[in-house]
Amino acid sequence: MNKGQKRDWVKIILDNFIWLILTVLFTYFAVNVPNFTSKTNLLNILLHASVLGVLTIGQAIVLMTGNFDLSAEGMVSLSTILAMWLMIEPGSVVGTAQGSGLMLNPYLVIFIILILGTLSGYIIGVLITRLNMNGFIVTLAAQLVLRGVAMIVSNGQIMTGSPKAFNWLGGAKIYGIPVSVIVTLLLFVGVNYMLNQSKFGRELRAVGANPDAAQASGFNPKRTITLAYTIGGFLAAFAGWMLLGRLETAVSSLGSGMTLETVAASVIGGVSLKGGIGSVGGAFAGVLLLSLIDNALNLMSVDSFWVESVRGFIILLALLIEAQKFRYKPKVVHEKEPAVASDCK
Amino acid sequence: MKKNTSKLLDVIFENLIWLLVAAGLIIFSSLSSSFRSPNNLASLLYRSAALGLLVLGQSFTMITGNFDLSSESGLGLTAMVAALALASADNGGLGWEVSPFVAIVLMIGVGLLIGLINGLLITRLKMNNLIVTIAMQMILRGLVYIISPGSTASFFPKAFDWLGGGTLFKIPLERGFFSFPVATLFVILIFVVSHIITRYTQFGRNMYAVGSNLTAAKDAGIDTDKIVRIVYLIDGLCMALAGLLAAGRLDSATPRTGAGLTFPVQAAAVIGGISMAGGRGNMIGALGGLMLWSILDNGLSIMKVSPFWIETSRGLILLFAVWLDAVKVKKVHQRSLIDILLQSTIGLKDKTIVKN
Amino acid sequence: MNTTEKVMERTPILSVEGVSKAFPGVQALTSVDFCVMDGEIHGLVGKNGAGKSTLMAILMGILEPNEGTIIIGDQQFHAMSPKEAIEKGIAYVPQHVAMMDSLTVAENILAGELPKTKSGFVNWKKVNSEAKERLDRLGLEMDVTKKVEGLGVAEQTMLAIAKALFGDAKLIILDEPTASLSRTDINRLFAFVKSLKDKGGSFIYISHHLEEVFEICDRVTVLRDGHIVGTADVAEIDVPKLIVMMVGEDVEDYTRESTCEDETVMVLNGLERRGYYENINLELHKGEIIGLTGLQGCGVEQLGKGLFGLEPRGIGEIILADKKFTAVRPIESFNQGLAYLPQDRYRYGLVGLRSVRENVTYPILNKLVRLMNLINGKEEKIIVNKYIGELDIKTPSQEQPARLLSGGNQQKVVFAKLASTQPSVLVLHEPTQGVDVRAKMDIFRIIDAMAAQGVAIIIISTEIRELIGVCDRILVMNDGRLTSEFKKGEKDMTPEKILAAIEGGKINE
Repeated sequence: MNKGQKRDWVKIILDNFIWLILTVLFTYFAVNVPNFTSKTNLLNILLHASVLGVLTIGQAIVLMTGNFDLSAEGMVSLSTILAMWLMIEPGSVVGTAQGSGLMLNPYLVIFIILILGTLSGYIIGVLITRLNMNGFIVTLAAQLVLRGVAMIVSNGQIMTGSPKAFNWLGGAKIYGIPVSVIVTLLLFVGVNYMLNQSKFGRELRAVGANPDAAQASGFNPKRTITLAYTIGGFLAAFAGWMLLGRLETAVSSLGSGMTLETVAASVIGGVSLKGGIGSVGGAFAGVLLLSLIDNALNLMSVDSFWVESVRGFIILLALLIEAQKFRYKPKVVHEKEPAVASDCK
Repeated sequence: MKKNTSKLLDVIFENLIWLLVAAGLIIFSSLSSSFRSPNNLASLLYRSAALGLLVLGQSFTMITGNFDLSSESGLGLTAMVAALALASADNGGLGWEVSPFVAIVLMIGVGLLIGLINGLLITRLKMNNLIVTIAMQMILRGLVYIISPGSTASFFPKAFDWLGGGTLFKIPLERGFFSFPVATLFVILIFVVSHIITRYTQFGRNMYAVGSNLTAAKDAGIDTDKIVRIVYLIDGLCMALAGLLAAGRLDSATPRTGAGLTFPVQAAAVIGGISMAGGRGNMIGALGGLMLWSILDNGLSIMKVSPFWIETSRGLILLFAVWLDAVKVKKVHQRSLIDILLQSTIGLKDKTIVKN
Repeated sequence: MNTTEKVMERTPILSVEGVSKAFPGVQALTSVDFCVMDGEIHGLVGKNGAGKSTLMAILMGILEPNEGTIIIGDQQFHAMSPKEAIEKGIAYVPQHVAMMDSLTVAENILAGELPKTKSGFVNWKKVNSEAKERLDRLGLEMDVTKKVEGLGVAEQTMLAIAKALFGDAKLIILDEPTASLSRTDINRLFAFVKSLKDKGGSFIYISHHLEEVFEICDRVTVLRDGHIVGTADVAEIDVPKLIVMMVGEDVEDYTRESTCEDETVMVLNGLERRGYYENINLELHKGEIIGLTGLQGCGVEQLGKGLFGLEPRGIGEIILADKKFTAVRPIESFNQGLAYLPQDRYRYGLVGLRSVRENVTYPILNKLVRLMNLINGKEEKIIVNKYIGELDIKTPSQEQPARLLSGGNQQKVVFAKLASTQPSVLVLHEPTQGVDVRAKMDIFRIIDAMAAQGVAIIIISTEIRELIGVCDRILVMNDGRLTSEFKKGEKDMTPEKILAAIEGGKINE
């Protein structure tokens, strides 16, 4: 019994490791890095965490089903470029990219890009589940196709000057707090609650942990996985809307490299690459950790080149912790069996 | 009769890549005169030589059922290391100005070290090979930035550039010269050597065994972890050689050298018939994949197609290749499923007859 | 008679003395003595859970026995490592052979030791010729340049046997090699195995098909509940005697009063799926328990999965509770009142990583959800608690991951899951497999209680004795057809008669 309790403690610590690290790091930075705890800087961290956070929600949902989504950053790029193309004047300034001249209503444009994201996610899901294509490569190729189309539309140029109505999500502030930060926090809380309490959340994790048993329990794994990718696509377009609103400028290379960060954040936050385990709330902790480190390294004026390396190391570390988790858990089963066996003798 | 048709289909399926290469050559040659000029044809592989080496490394890992997504940064790092050691301080180097030989040894050392780390992380710590190599890609690219003081290091000794940028023969033509790039020859040569290794050595066959069925390979007494580690070492060597080719051709190295190559590398290998499921495909096919890739690249850009369209079409080609790969593997499964189904029906009948 | 003498003259190639093995709650083997002679095919029969797999796992060095010794040649072992077992010449050929599918037959045979030229390169001509020569020596004709994925199942099995022999195997364990083979293929396989025996090979042959044991084996050993019942020369025994040995006569079984009512719950009308089953007509009454049994591959398994919607069902009509049963997916089956317990608990029954609570309520989430698809957690906990109490599931809490429970309790969780859907028909596939004796009794009590509540139950099982104890009727399937029926209370409902019907087809007619 005592042993059982001890084990539970180890498990609790392992499961909430990320929050512990987060607290320790935050304290360390607060003491050692000047200006770290200023209001502006804290908001900066959250601002940086907002777009990444929205994308991470999508990634975590897909990871929970035991799949990867590498296409989201391509969707960020395409949705921003397409939105600009639909909204700005044709050739307003020499040397910049040409808008379509359609000058559509920003609200309509928002609607269009969200639909586009949803649709592209759906198609990717169908390719993977119905045509049995390798999910990793399909989403990698999709990332390229989406970014390629963005390049074609933008002609590789920078597009600036998005309308104010469109920028509200990414640029506006309420009582000095950016709307995007509020929305992201609400999204995390809402989605986390939904996935922990709703039927869909159960379904996601059951499918990720054991698709065969999930099917025999009345779920439809193919549909669930397709739906996960669809949500991922929608959130990617949503992140694009948010990012464009903040930058008011679109360029086809927008969002590049974010895929890896979302995977890293999810894994750090306890979402298993093997599927079935983890929560969006944990992934949020991962997002915070990455943003925190980025910000602190920045404030300490660490060479920006180091930052990428540090991120790589963090991913490796997260993987190592995950591998340990899987190594640790089966031991519980093993320890139990001989004990009972010896009782029988 | 039926058997012959299916065998013919199999042969066509196996050699599909060369049909595509031939079709690509014929179509672009008939469309553009600058495409069919001898110099252009000879330099098709010259421009994609570094890519070719990475495709080779990727093929090695994929045959054993693994992936390597770190090679583009490996190329960048080895190129930068050599550049720093070679170039004078004025040209962005460290001012050591070592001999080309030392620089090459240094590169190979770095490449092998990367391969060693990849292999150990994957086999010893049982980490997911995709994520490990993605993380390595980030770490190595970061290292390139860290070690490079300026943005570009250039002007290397001629001897160092020979492999990547040199030419062999100079044959006078009506206009100008026809010259044959060393890199083209080197890439073909090294692919042929790799083909021989994978096809005609015990180690090569063990690679296929590991990729085809890990358990069965273990049962046959093959040290599967060791094979995977060696494969990643070879992959590291390929990165170093790719770095040598890239730095040699451009006579310079920047922190971005090699960036963005992962995708073409993956695509060329898959198009060349190296299966993502492991254990299928061969090096000559991978060379075909590389050639098709360079033909499309070169042909489309000569015909002034927007580079963005090229990018998009690449994505679609890869999707097609992945689909083909899925079909191939599925076909095999379906075939055996049908077999089983047929047998069980026949079995039913047989037994009924016996009883009656 | 001659064969007997020959066997007697021969020396044992492997003997097992006093081997015992216990698992949590189960004594899998009790001081087993067993011996295989040089150059014989030794049959090993017994019901599921009789201890065959445990014994084989010990011989292969996968499990360590609690007591006893294994003697190979003149060496004694307490336990071996898998590597030692292979070195001593013991090879195992499972039903589904692991092969390097994308490589040729020749490469599979010579993997790891391909012939080379003087310069150290692989000599492909020699690879093919040597592989061919090796196969020829065994009298096996096969295109060595063909890829293994292009071979049939029988050929793959023969190739695996050949491979084992090339690896200097002295004793080959064949585990249910004929399960998915046609009669023609079985004949070819048997001819091959016999020819190898004549060349001095020794085999342990594990099978549920008693006819085949008589066809191919020299001697046969029967295991029952972890004990050796006996070893006999096949020339001196017949199928009925063997059946008696397998089933035993003195076992106390679970018995129950019939709860069968007159009201019909489900009717199957001319169900047929090509290649699996045909002309299935069945009427199921309220509170009735029906046993469906037959040899592996006879079609009962597919029928069960087909009813539930895990596999295509084929054609035919089903009426359930006066309505047409149209479900083609598990969730629709649950909704229309049919629940199914899969045989493979780890793969199909449970999502092991997730908690007991989640596992129980997966199929009824639709009834538990409120606004926005949110689950009513309070109600869920009450339901789960109710079933944990009713089925006496021993778990520290509702939140315990299902994989950390014992086998019997895991099975109870699956039962709780099915019961929560409040089905009118329950299809159970090998419900007692992999659970200990006490849990078995618990599971029977659960089945009994559910029948008493009016649920019609179909049990698909090969455990004849258990079926006799629990079922109101037992139907035997043969080659995809229902061939015999045994009713409770009739004299014919004996293990011997039923096993004979399973083995021999239409005994009743």
